[in-house]
Amino acid sequence: MSESAPGGNISRVVADGVYSGEQRSLWQDASRRFRRNWLAVGGLVVVFCFLIAALVGPHVSPYDFLEQNIVRAFQRPSEEHFLGTDDLGRDVFSRMLHGARTAALVAFFTTAISLLIGVLVGTWSGISGGRTDEFLMWISDLIQAMPGLLLVILINTTLRRPIINAFDTLYMQTRNPFYLNTLWLDYVLVFSALALIGWPGLARLIRGQVLSINEEDYVLAARAIGASEAHIMLRHVIPNALGPLVVAVTASMGGAVTLEAGLSFLGIGIQPPNASWGSMLEEGRRYWQIFPHLILIPAVTIGIVQVAFVFLGDGLNDALDPRRTT
Amino acid sequence: MATFLLIRLLRWSVGLLLILFITYAMMYYGAGDPIRMMFIQGEDFDTEDEVVMLALRKKYGLDEPFLAQFGNYLNNLFQGDWGRSIRLQVDRPVLEIVQFRLPISMQLGFAATIIGAVVGIGLGILSALHHNRLLDRLIVSIVLFVNGIPVFVTVPILLLLLVLQLKLIDVPYGWNGLFHIDAALPVAVISIGVLPIIVRQTRSAMLEVKSQQYVTTARAKGVPESRIILRHMLRPVLTPVVTTLGLIMIGLINGSLFVEYILNIPGFGLLTIEGIKKVDYPIIMAVAVVGTLIIFVSNFLVDIIYPILDPRVRA
Repeated sequence: MSESAPGGNISRVVADGVYSGEQRSLWQDASRRFRRNWLAVGGLVVVFCFLIAALVGPHVSPYDFLEQNIVRAFQRPSEEHFLGTDDLGRDVFSRMLHGARTAALVAFFTTAISLLIGVLVGTWSGISGGRTDEFLMWISDLIQAMPGLLLVILINTTLRRPIINAFDTLYMQTRNPFYLNTLWLDYVLVFSALALIGWPGLARLIRGQVLSINEEDYVLAARAIGASEAHIMLRHVIPNALGPLVVAVTASMGGAVTLEAGLSFLGIGIQPPNASWGSMLEEGRRYWQIFPHLILIPAVTIGIVQVAFVFLGDGLNDALDPRRTT
Repeated sequence: MATFLLIRLLRWSVGLLLILFITYAMMYYGAGDPIRMMFIQGEDFDTEDEVVMLALRKKYGLDEPFLAQFGNYLNNLFQGDWGRSIRLQVDRPVLEIVQFRLPISMQLGFAATIIGAVVGIGLGILSALHHNRLLDRLIVSIVLFVNGIPVFVTVPILLLLLVLQLKLIDVPYGWNGLFHIDAALPVAVISIGVLPIIVRQTRSAMLEVKSQQYVTTARAKGVPESRIILRHMLRPVLTPVVTTLGLIMIGLINGSLFVEYILNIPGFGLLTIEGIKKVDYPIIMAVAVVGTLIIFVSNFLVDIIYPILDPRVRA
């Protein structure tokens, strides 16, 4: 029971479960509801472990993820190699940890970029209305109507060459070795391709929030006493949109992890020698009948992380919906 | 109504043209010269002979400036000439390839949609009837779970389980017709991909219908429960499910891409990946045309069907 709760005495009078007198904020309420959903809590734990693995994993991995040792190729899980070794004798556990970093990087940057574009376009669309609104929403409709995977594959393959060429030219002109290192190029390509198909959903969400909150009486009141548009945006619209945004961001991160793995699985996303769960799955596929662990480990990991993201997102969705009580 | 459909048609057509233009521009400026790649990769020719390259480029009309190429492409497209494959199946008309590949994916997709719809609508109704009870929670959780696992994870795990562990089936490989045992795994996996959309939509529609007054009235009149479900609830439940046709199609395309790639089924999904890996312009364009058309046509169909199913939106 909160000490400063007004009406605290009254609450004690009607204390048999009718009105507890306890004051809870939206977020306290949400966290209560969330903690009750054990699937969602499990999802949160797995996602947390995944992020920790991505953050510190590559620093504590027992072997270098690139280190090849043909003599020790195709080892089954043992004490020496916790998850065995792959066709080139690389330690699978170290590669999985590095793959976690790849997946987390892609999830983070993809979401950040699409969030930035989504918030900008969504607010612009919601505030201006009319033709601008219609045009922006038409564009985002088009992108959403397209099969995303197809679009990502197209963008990824077509953007690679021009960027490599541009960097070659830059290197020729400046002789700066920075432009020679193209290992991170795959990452940039995957971020941008995924963000390009990711922003419309977020933009639509923000636009909807802007439109509905603009109708509220308290916004009308704020406007009547002379609050600026920026103030209304920061003070009313964004805090109100925070719940749905958290849900959307979780979904977007999970989606980016799947899409990255899928692209790399098709040989289009993160290229070897960089480690990605998707490309490990694809490499393991060649030997799946003899060395099933090579395919089982990345497959099960991708599956668990995905399901965790889905359950987490669903739990957050239920918890943050203010219309739900208890 | 007619004007509404006309406007929608116009919008989707402009969208289709825009997407074709962007795809062609990405190909032209981004993907690189397929002719040069034939030489560099040494698959088709040994030396980089500029004269031969020039001749080849001329043959495929790749020597012209961008807008002329795009114009030619559109012009030919509308006359039924989709160009010829440059590298995948050299010189074979693309339309022929598509006509061979697309039906395979369509059969898979059709079978998967029917199974997904029957199972999904059933589960959705069951779930809503047991709202907030154990069965409902179980179905919702399982659907969420299944929804989370990507196809390229499901298929390898199922292969390990069914082929290596249980020895139930041989490794399915290639395409031997829809009614061959090899088609069972791809159909099942693709239908799992569309199932969650249908279950979720059915369930929420059913929950809404359940508390309608005409349902209460029917119940009060003593109409048997099964008849209430079939006669009074099914139609308003099916209506919103139909509107997810576009989403279902996207699910089918995504699913078939991976399933066909993994199981080496020569369908449209595999064609997409092969075409992109070989930078075969006409193939990639054909994939973009067909993919976009499928989505647009299904969205347009929804616009037409919806007012028929739900008289309230008829304006």
